[in-house]
Amino acid sequence: METGVVVVEKVGGKSEVTRCFSKYPLKFIIPRKVGPSTTDAVWIYSLTYGGGIVSGDSISCEFTIRDGCTAVLTTQASTKVYKSLGSKCSEQFMEARVGSDALFAVIPDPVTCFSTARYSQKQVFRLASDSNLVIVDWITSGRHERGEKWDFELYKSTNHIISDDDQPFFLDTVLLEREGIASMVEHMWNYQVIAMVILWGPKLRHIQSQVQEDVRRMMSEQLHMPSGGLSRHAKSNSDPNSRRYFAKPTFIASCSVFGPKGSGVVVRIAAMTTESVYKFLQHELAGMEPLLGVTPYC
Amino acid sequence: MEDQMEMKEGSKRSAPMEDGIDTIQGSKRTASAPLQWSQWQLLDSILPTGGFAHSFGLEAAIQSCIISDPEGLRTYLVHMLENTGSLLLPFVHSATVCPNLETWKNLDRRLDATLTNEVSRKASISQGSALMRVAAAVYTEIPTLKTMRDALIASRDACFHHALVFGLICGLLGMDTDTSQRAYMFITMRDAISAATRLNLIGPLGAAVLQHQVSVVAETILIKWMNCPVVDACQTAPLLDTVQGCHSYLFSRMFCS
Repeated sequence: METGVVVVEKVGGKSEVTRCFSKYPLKFIIPRKVGPSTTDAVWIYSLTYGGGIVSGDSISCEFTIRDGCTAVLTTQASTKVYKSLGSKCSEQFMEARVGSDALFAVIPDPVTCFSTARYSQKQVFRLASDSNLVIVDWITSGRHERGEKWDFELYKSTNHIISDDDQPFFLDTVLLEREGIASMVEHMWNYQVIAMVILWGPKLRHIQSQVQEDVRRMMSEQLHMPSGGLSRHAKSNSDPNSRRYFAKPTFIASCSVFGPKGSGVVVRIAAMTTESVYKFLQHELAGMEPLLGVTPYC
Repeated sequence: MEDQMEMKEGSKRSAPMEDGIDTIQGSKRTASAPLQWSQWQLLDSILPTGGFAHSFGLEAAIQSCIISDPEGLRTYLVHMLENTGSLLLPFVHSATVCPNLETWKNLDRRLDATLTNEVSRKASISQGSALMRVAAAVYTEIPTLKTMRDALIASRDACFHHALVFGLICGLLGMDTDTSQRAYMFITMRDAISAATRLNLIGPLGAAVLQHQVSVVAETILIKWMNCPVVDACQTAPLLDTVQGCHSYLFSRMFCS
């Protein structure tokens, strides 16, 4: 049973929400004026009662973005996943169909799982040959100020991008669980944010090339050869002056091309602070302003 | 791996009445014994599949200072093996139990979409293609390998991903799926540790000790992820995936991935 349905189609030459349904614990807010009237984009804010997802919640929604339309799905603040009661898992499922020449941008704030939370989300995007898609999917380690770092039970996030004739373009699932072989904190090597940005389609070509170039430049400066292997490396580490030089980067990113004819670019990010990821997203997605009316994450 | 097979052989010896055991000049052997030569050769590091051109992200991890001491190497290995278990073993398993051309092609397409990291995707394709070429040339007693390879090349849309080629060959060489998945963990660890010695992270003796120690953890990981369906394949070490993706940004590098 769906808890939310949104259909965006062209009405009088402009993208309009022609169907919108939501029920507890989900609510959509569709403000009329987000950007200037010259841009053709619908902004959809997804809200949950209580500002987060309670143990056992199951949210399932369906988006249809018809040919030529532009829609943005975002949030007002991070999605909090509250402590789980017993072994109950909270779930969010989304299926989206993006029409020909349409653009769907899913640009939420990060998910923050409280200690003991169990959360699973799955997003399936069905695309036409010339659809355009932006997905930002990210998670923080928890409520750091309360000392909660990677302290939840389970986080699973699946993103599938599939052609309308069922060819898989991108099948990704990230699973973080406390009961792993190595502990989650150990897995994260002191990074507090894990993020993924997906850019797909002809309208985003310029954003793709910019982010690929920026990430390459940024990372090339961060990576260096430890001269003479680890033993010497370890020694120089004990020297406080060189320690800074050999510290782990606070922000790591890498880009990969995927899909037929390299239509998609995925950026994976690990960062020590949430702010640095916001800054990165703001900068890299700024080029979408003409398409969306305002710059994402501003 | 060899120990494992010898144990199986040993346990069969203690049950001489079991099917498939012939008595030849007083010594007992299983009907599948000659296959062991082929199975061991598949796992031998001398098999020219190009595995040693890959560091599984180790080189990028050193240059980004994720690994800065031998303890870091050990942790990295465990995470890397966990990710191999959760992401690739389902594909090894499926290819081992179903050596059918159409199913295999679908799995290959699926794995290509699952390996979202370009560096590891290319590494998987180059090692898989090399392994398929070598196997088709070496195991001439299994003509299916050559006919499948020819058919896949002719179809032009096959990627030859390594986990699937490996699973397929294991199945055709009569390995059961548990052994095939364990063998995949074994060769992955072997190649990563070999890369670590060439990156001067650890000496050859230390490497052998480490390999033996980590094999205990690898077995736990194997048991956790064994026989999973491909729909459950997932990444458990997203940070390593990010780091490995940086490999192409390295100014100087020894390895392809």
